[in-house]
Amino acid sequence: PGVTMSHCLPCRYSAMKEYLSELDKETKKALETFYGFSDGKSKVRRSVDKWNSTGGDFFQQIPLLKVEDFSRTATDLHSGQKRKIEGSVFHKDSSIVNSGDSNDIIGFQLCDANNSSECALYTFSSGVNAIQEWYKLHYMNIMAQIPLETKEKLSYSADDLLLTCFFDGLSCDKRHFTRFHHPLHGNCYTFNSGENGTILSTSTGGSEYGLQVVLYIDEADYNPFLVTSTGAKIIVHDQNEYPFIEDIGTEIETAAATSIGMHFTRSRKLSKPYSDCTETGADIPVENLYNKSYSLQICLHSCFQKAMVDSCGCAQYAQPLPAGAEYCNYKKNPNWMYCYYRLHEKFVKEQLGCQQICKDACSFKEWALTTSIAQWPSTVSEDWMLRVLSWDKGQKLNKKLNKTDLANLMVFYKDLNERFISENPANTLVILLSNFGGQLGLWMSCSVVCVIEIVEVFFIDSLSIVMRRQWQKAKKWWNDRKGAGSGKPPQASPVERQGHDNPICIDEDLPTFNTALRLPLPQDSPLPRTPPPNYSTLRLETAFTEQLPDTLELSQH
Amino acid sequence: MNLKKYLVRALHRLQKGPGYTYKELLVWYCDNTNTHGPKRIIKEGPKKKLIWFFLTLLFASLVFWQWGILINTYLSYNVTSSLSIGFKTMKFPAVTVCNANPFKYSEVKHLLEELDRLLEAALERILQPTPGNGSENVSPPLNLQLWNQIPLVLIDEHNKDHPIILDIFETNQTAEGNRTAAGNETEEKKYKLAVKLCSHQGSANCTYRNFTSAAQAVTEWYILQSTSILSKVPLHEKIRMGYQAEDMILACLYGAEPCNYKNFTQIYHPDHGNCYIFNWGMDEEALNSSNPGAEFGLKLILDISQQDYIPYLSSAAGARLMLHQQKSFPFLKDQGIYAMAGTETSIGVLVDELERMGYPYSDCTMNGSDVPVKNLYSQYNTSYSIQACLRSCFQNHMVEICGCGHYMFPLPEGVNYCNNEDNPGWAYCYSSLRSSIKQRQICIDSCKETCNDTQYKMTISMADWPSEASEDWIFHILSYERDMSTNVTLDRNGIIKLNIYFQEYNYRTISESAATTIVWLLSSLGGQFGFWMGGSVLCLIEFGEIIIDSLWITIINMISWCKGLKQRRARARYPDTPPTVSELVEAHTNLGFQHDGALPRDQALPPEPGTPPPNYDSLRVQPLDILSPDSDAE
Repeated sequence: PGVTMSHCLPCRYSAMKEYLSELDKETKKALETFYGFSDGKSKVRRSVDKWNSTGGDFFQQIPLLKVEDFSRTATDLHSGQKRKIEGSVFHKDSSIVNSGDSNDIIGFQLCDANNSSECALYTFSSGVNAIQEWYKLHYMNIMAQIPLETKEKLSYSADDLLLTCFFDGLSCDKRHFTRFHHPLHGNCYTFNSGENGTILSTSTGGSEYGLQVVLYIDEADYNPFLVTSTGAKIIVHDQNEYPFIEDIGTEIETAAATSIGMHFTRSRKLSKPYSDCTETGADIPVENLYNKSYSLQICLHSCFQKAMVDSCGCAQYAQPLPAGAEYCNYKKNPNWMYCYYRLHEKFVKEQLGCQQICKDACSFKEWALTTSIAQWPSTVSEDWMLRVLSWDKGQKLNKKLNKTDLANLMVFYKDLNERFISENPANTLVILLSNFGGQLGLWMSCSVVCVIEIVEVFFIDSLSIVMRRQWQKAKKWWNDRKGAGSGKPPQASPVERQGHDNPICIDEDLPTFNTALRLPLPQDSPLPRTPPPNYSTLRLETAFTEQLPDTLELSQH
Repeated sequence: MNLKKYLVRALHRLQKGPGYTYKELLVWYCDNTNTHGPKRIIKEGPKKKLIWFFLTLLFASLVFWQWGILINTYLSYNVTSSLSIGFKTMKFPAVTVCNANPFKYSEVKHLLEELDRLLEAALERILQPTPGNGSENVSPPLNLQLWNQIPLVLIDEHNKDHPIILDIFETNQTAEGNRTAAGNETEEKKYKLAVKLCSHQGSANCTYRNFTSAAQAVTEWYILQSTSILSKVPLHEKIRMGYQAEDMILACLYGAEPCNYKNFTQIYHPDHGNCYIFNWGMDEEALNSSNPGAEFGLKLILDISQQDYIPYLSSAAGARLMLHQQKSFPFLKDQGIYAMAGTETSIGVLVDELERMGYPYSDCTMNGSDVPVKNLYSQYNTSYSIQACLRSCFQNHMVEICGCGHYMFPLPEGVNYCNNEDNPGWAYCYSSLRSSIKQRQICIDSCKETCNDTQYKMTISMADWPSEASEDWIFHILSYERDMSTNVTLDRNGIIKLNIYFQEYNYRTISESAATTIVWLLSSLGGQFGFWMGGSVLCLIEFGEIIIDSLWITIINMISWCKGLKQRRARARYPDTPPTVSELVEAHTNLGFQHDGALPRDQALPPEPGTPPPNYDSLRVQPLDILSPDSDAE
């Protein structure tokens, strides 16, 4: 069995700085005005303060607002002026929050660019969520304008990420890892993706025979607004499955050894008419945008992306591009964010119909993970371990490694038992027929032949009798009329008799009883032939007298 | 006597020849069989005859086709699984706790001292390759004997086609060292560490085990060397060097009852040293748990004393624990989990019981007695498991090929553990055996799974423990209880709290039952046959009878034909063939025709020699057939 996993980290922050510096500055300004927060000894703010000159481009696009709920007025961050809010207010978490008593709800306003009176205000109960969400929107805008090759280059490379790699008792390196670019998480690396044709397999369970890697995670290189937790994310998936790392990834802690024991389960459902699932996804009217095999997740994402392209005119950044579309950015599509939020809300409320169109896949693979954590490196081995790992990393890295930059990961099969859950039809046609036969035979000792006989006798034969009667009657009536016309007396009786019992008329058509009963008749009548009994007995006796001694002699011999 | 009579009669039968022809036999069969179709073939008029003939043929082929499907289904030996979930009083699982580190470093230091010094010196050389920096303060001379047995080498891969292999302690190392430093400054690291394994010391038959990472290489090398050293230590000494129960298990509470380290069974595990098993069920009855929830589970406080770890052997620190069935050996490397120091780990348990059907439904074994591998773990009095089988299989191969047993697995009788002195080539042998796919495949093919299996599904969650506010008093009490001292001898790096308990629904039983039984098969076969043709087993017997009869006719005909040929040859002068007598006798004796009174004997008589009766017969019969209904009607 092959295992694939991805280690995902967002793009390298330091490399992305030139693209994001504007945004970061504005974010910090927002923090300062709303919460009075300023990081004076900031390690991030290295460039000279010159935000007045840039003029707050981002806030004009999507203004961050502090809302005073009761008066329905909002403080605009950029201009500092209060204004009345028109349009509808959406609470991101409307069902939970009771916003009546808190007067500093933060949110942002999205307006329809064509019709500025139509605005939607998204509010959050916490500024943390609001700032992150707001940042993410801008981040997507910026990233959508950068070509893929540049982004791949800017992200972590496999060499940066991997310090050691060990699989099934053998050393492995970056050649065993395949890169794929995740829009939000940056470069992810898939071990054993099967892309170069070979799929590694392990034939023994246990931690020594699994994959052991030490990951290098540079905490200082994290984007402070986009990702607020450190560590890596891992996902175990099949070679032709798309890894939805943000949906089902498992987090990995730094300065610890995470051991993940796997147990494999394969399930297969019966498709129509037993259940409503799809084998390959070919019968679903949604184009699969991912270059992988069908799954419900893929279908939902593709469906949403299609709706996005249809109604907003551009594609959302987090999902792959459909043919002929391009990613949204507010230079080209100033309207997209409002459109996106509207659409997303519809999608969540199942108004887009995606949930109805998409079906489950009939067969799927699943790995049950048992995750446990140990301290790593231990206090006594920390010293030499870090020294050797620093040497491994080579001279390129100038500083000494810290243990919080490292994560040790072991992924292995707990046992090689595979659990296979499959559905079988409870009743097949064969069993249905044999149950029919059993019941018919038990109660009536009857079979299909009986049924055909019944049909023959009661329908075909009786129908033919009725038809013949009718024919005779019609003939008689015709003859009567003819006879009346010609003045001759009718000679009905012999004709009628003949209708029933005339052997010529009967011939094969009414055979069931008569012919069957008369079959042995010819044998009954003695045939005029030479009397054989005498003749045969004569011969018989001679035969015996002739042969018997012979055989006896033979047997005596 | 009887047999003789029987033989004589059989011979007569042979000489007389058959009393009837195939056609007669067939007609008779069709007339008398209980199957629904054939009767109609002979008793209907010619048109219906044809229809019925095809109908019968169709039904018969349908029956055979469906029978094929049914028998195929039966022979695939499918099983249906039924799943039941619920709560009941269950046996609490056996809990094995070990320290991730096998021995106390303070106890084994005298054994590993030289090895450690060697490794430190080697690391010094690797990490600071410039001469005159680190090598001066290594004052005591190194024992290079250990090194020479399994050396670590540096592979210079600047030139891809001709990698230069450098022994770290070679005397001409200094010159190389200079170049190393120069290379590192200009370009990326191109050095790799490898372990050199030779089949004999000084022989040319060597392999290099490459590692991309130096850390990995050092660890592997250290493990190889330390196993060689430790394999010479007797078992009781190894137990003494490991962690003692009273030092490790500080507190224990099962449900509301207190327990202590004496409730744990000690076992020596090669990977983790002394392990302690709670509720193993070897001597006493297994404990039952009748309540779900953390309150009624097992609560443990462990101390792993991280300061006393062997620095190079295990880099991860924590306790290793595993839940398993009573009387089974804990394979911690496969199914064990870690618990981190300074945390409270809660483990909710859900028991998966699997009951498989044995042969022919699935390939599993009840107790391992039918597996062709000698179970080496039976010396622990433990039950069979597939892990035990795979490891035993490997150890048996190892003993066979390398001549000594590997330290990590139990020993067969009369064999010693491998070490560098007695078996200089063992590391080479072991590593080639371990990486051989063939050997693995043999083991996987010969080992079978157990039919009844219990798996423990764990839901693991962690929290920091002890909290900052309670830290002081907890450490104080635990230290006092352990050492009777008022000094705090414990710290966050060594202490672990464990809660193991049953979840709300504690069991899930998956049991197999046969999807198709022989009764099912017979009733389905009967149903099909009855449905299409109204037949039963008796009909099959009838059919078999007919086949035997026709075979009999064939044999008799053949014999009489042969006889005729012989006679014709003998009496070539006579133009006529003599009349066959045996056929006449057959007419009398054949039981098949006896009950059918309608058929007169003479009808079955063979034609008289000379006169052609068939024409005559047919001539007479047919007009009668047509005439007779006429006469009946009138």
